Amino acid sequence: MKFKVLLSFLVAAALAAAASAKSITLLNVSYDPTRELYVDFNAAFAKYWKAKTGDDVTIKQSHGGSGAQARAINDGLQADVATLALAADVDALFNVGKLVPQDWQKRLPNNSAPYTSTIVFLVRKGNPKGIKDWDDLVKPGVTIVTPNPKTSGGARWNYLAAWGYALKKYGSDDKAKEFIAKLYKNVPVLDSGARGSTTTFVQREIGDVAISWENEAFLALKEYGADKFAIVVPSLSILAEPTVSVVDKVVKKKGTEEVAKAYLDYLYSDEGQEIAARNFYRPRNAAVQAKYAKVFPQLELITIDEAFGGWAKAQKTHFADGGVFDQIYLK
Amino acid sequence: MRTYTRAIRTALAATSLLAALPALRAQSTESEIQALRAQIEQLDAKLRILERKNEIKDEAAATAATTAPKITINDKGFTLASADGANSVKIRGLIQLDSRLFFNDGGGVVNNSFVLRRARIISEGTFAKNYSFQLVPEFGGGSAAGATAVSILDANIGIAVTPQLQLKFGKFKSPVGLELLQSDAWTFFNERSIVTNLVPNRDLGIQASGDVLGGALNYTVGIFNGIADGANSGNADFDNEKDGVVRLIASPFKSDVSSPLQGLSFGASASLGREKTASGRTGGYKTDGQQTFFSYAASTITDGQNWRLSPQLDYRNGSLGVIGEYVLSASNVRPSATGTKTELRNKAWQLAAGYVLTGENSSYAGVVPNNNFDFSAGTWGAFEVTARYSDLKVDDNAFPVFASAATNADEAKAVGVGLNWYLSKAVAFKIDYYQTKFGFNAAAPAVSTTQILRQDEKAFLTRFQVAF
Repeated sequence: MKFKVLLSFLVAAALAAAASAKSITLLNVSYDPTRELYVDFNAAFAKYWKAKTGDDVTIKQSHGGSGAQARAINDGLQADVATLALAADVDALFNVGKLVPQDWQKRLPNNSAPYTSTIVFLVRKGNPKGIKDWDDLVKPGVTIVTPNPKTSGGARWNYLAAWGYALKKYGSDDKAKEFIAKLYKNVPVLDSGARGSTTTFVQREIGDVAISWENEAFLALKEYGADKFAIVVPSLSILAEPTVSVVDKVVKKKGTEEVAKAYLDYLYSDEGQEIAARNFYRPRNAAVQAKYAKVFPQLELITIDEAFGGWAKAQKTHFADGGVFDQIYLK
Repeated sequence: MRTYTRAIRTALAATSLLAALPALRAQSTESEIQALRAQIEQLDAKLRILERKNEIKDEAAATAATTAPKITINDKGFTLASADGANSVKIRGLIQLDSRLFFNDGGGVVNNSFVLRRARIISEGTFAKNYSFQLVPEFGGGSAAGATAVSILDANIGIAVTPQLQLKFGKFKSPVGLELLQSDAWTFFNERSIVTNLVPNRDLGIQASGDVLGGALNYTVGIFNGIADGANSGNADFDNEKDGVVRLIASPFKSDVSSPLQGLSFGASASLGREKTASGRTGGYKTDGQQTFFSYAASTITDGQNWRLSPQLDYRNGSLGVIGEYVLSASNVRPSATGTKTELRNKAWQLAAGYVLTGENSSYAGVVPNNNFDFSAGTWGAFEVTARYSDLKVDDNAFPVFASAATNADEAKAVGVGLNWYLSKAVAFKIDYYQTKFGFNAAAPAVSTTQILRQDEKAFLTRFQVAF
């Protein structure tokens, strides 16, 4: 009799638990090369969330040029979280749509950049054009692949890394501008995003060198073979800090605030950092950094704040309509 | 000697040159090949760049297309929609030009004419996916000669809460009559049957409807101002009395594709309310040829409960379509403000069928020809033959207190046959012949004082229609 009572109680409890379990869907709107990272991370988070709360969470992914993705969110794409290539694109969610608070970047550690990357060169087998540093890119006859800074966050990091190098070496903004102008003269195709540029370089076999996210370059080697391509690390590059934020207005409307916040927090967890490193993003966590130290080469890295006075200023000076990029590229 | 030496030198040089020629030629060919190879590589690189640029352009166009508004112009109207389809505005139209020709009607009645039966510009739209509107002004209709009255037929706002719960607010067709609820453009006949005389037309109110049980049952419930049989509501109501309407339609075989009963829908509608108006219950009951055969005396007023009950069915199976409905309309009337209240029960029924000769499906939403009429291509559109029998009987108690037996018929029995030619989805030409036999109350004189009632009505109606 007691057994029956206990069994009934357990069945009722199980039914009640099943009835109360929720099924949640999040949309992560991200930039181009993070597809593989978030496929791995989403699976890990769904498992973690299920164990923690009993709720099923499905995360949908949307990828494209970071700037274009920010515009899509401002235009109404119902992103629960934005994991974009740079802070300026998340800033746009405040500036244009007031979808996030102005101080969004202070809400998470490391200025809401849970992982970092940098900019390197991807060259063809044997490095036929002998590319070693930024100066080699502006030589006549060298064909460069890099995306469009107007639409791609990665492209903006590429541009600023080159600018930072030229500024340091040649000593003035005018010289840097001249350098950048020469560089973009060697760019025959501007893709809208970093993944498109990889396709141009790797699959369409266009160009002698692709200026690339480090993680994207590693991925190209992994996917297409280290015997076909090589990574060249320049003498100086930039610390690229992709940033993440909950899209407050959307999650409040959808009632997904709690899980969206937990999703981003989990990027900073040991498992989240491990997944980032496995996907060739430089982790913030010291222990994971140490574990993957051999993977990521050491090089001199400038930062956006030090070299350009922050993203807002860099964006306005270089990439806004009529900015430096327009002046050199549309000329 | 010098000449000799020179000759020898020249000969040696020539010999050397001749000996070196093949090597020089070989060198030249090799360098040409290398130059050509380099040229081909350059051209190949340029070609790949051009191809990639085109790819990027196509990708950009495809991306832009997903966010660009969509404009659609087809035989269903003009639609401007947002990329996600959540917002749209649609403009449609309906023009019906009729001719009416009456045979053997005594000659004294002026009733043969061309009629601009309907002329409508229909505006519809959806906002934020779930909110919709409809605005339909009527520029045609039975206005008196020279009159240019424009009326608002439909003006309503919808909220699609779920497929099971759709709300509608405003002016629209009261959900009682089966044939009345069908679009004006797609009925079997140019004119709806005499049964429609007994159901309310457009009324002001609030309605909830939806498909439940997997679409096997459609329900509609609503509350309306309440209007007379066959009448259209004005834009306001000045009594406190309202009509409640409910309609249930079952389609139990809807998802059984192999069943011959898949296209069977049946059910019933009912309305219940109270009216207290200074005017009579109806402006008049009309024949298929749109001539009035019954109307209440001008002093008759409505006062009290009214109700309607209407079982109905619709059956479609390939080219065959059948509709049937019965209406019992009861109302309490007084001969004058102080006269005795009497409940009158008028009844009507119809059975109508259509068969599409050219093989297209019969449909409640109109016949779509497989091939449009195109004389040069030798295609003729779709042809449908139709037949109908209908009967309307006015309560005997209406005579002589509420209506004159001498000037009104108390019953009309109508037979109709027709031929519909669908030149395209939007354009149709229709020919109908109606013959209506009148019955009279016992108190009626041997010969009606109304000329059109002295013989059967024999009407030949044609219609040229554009509906999109």
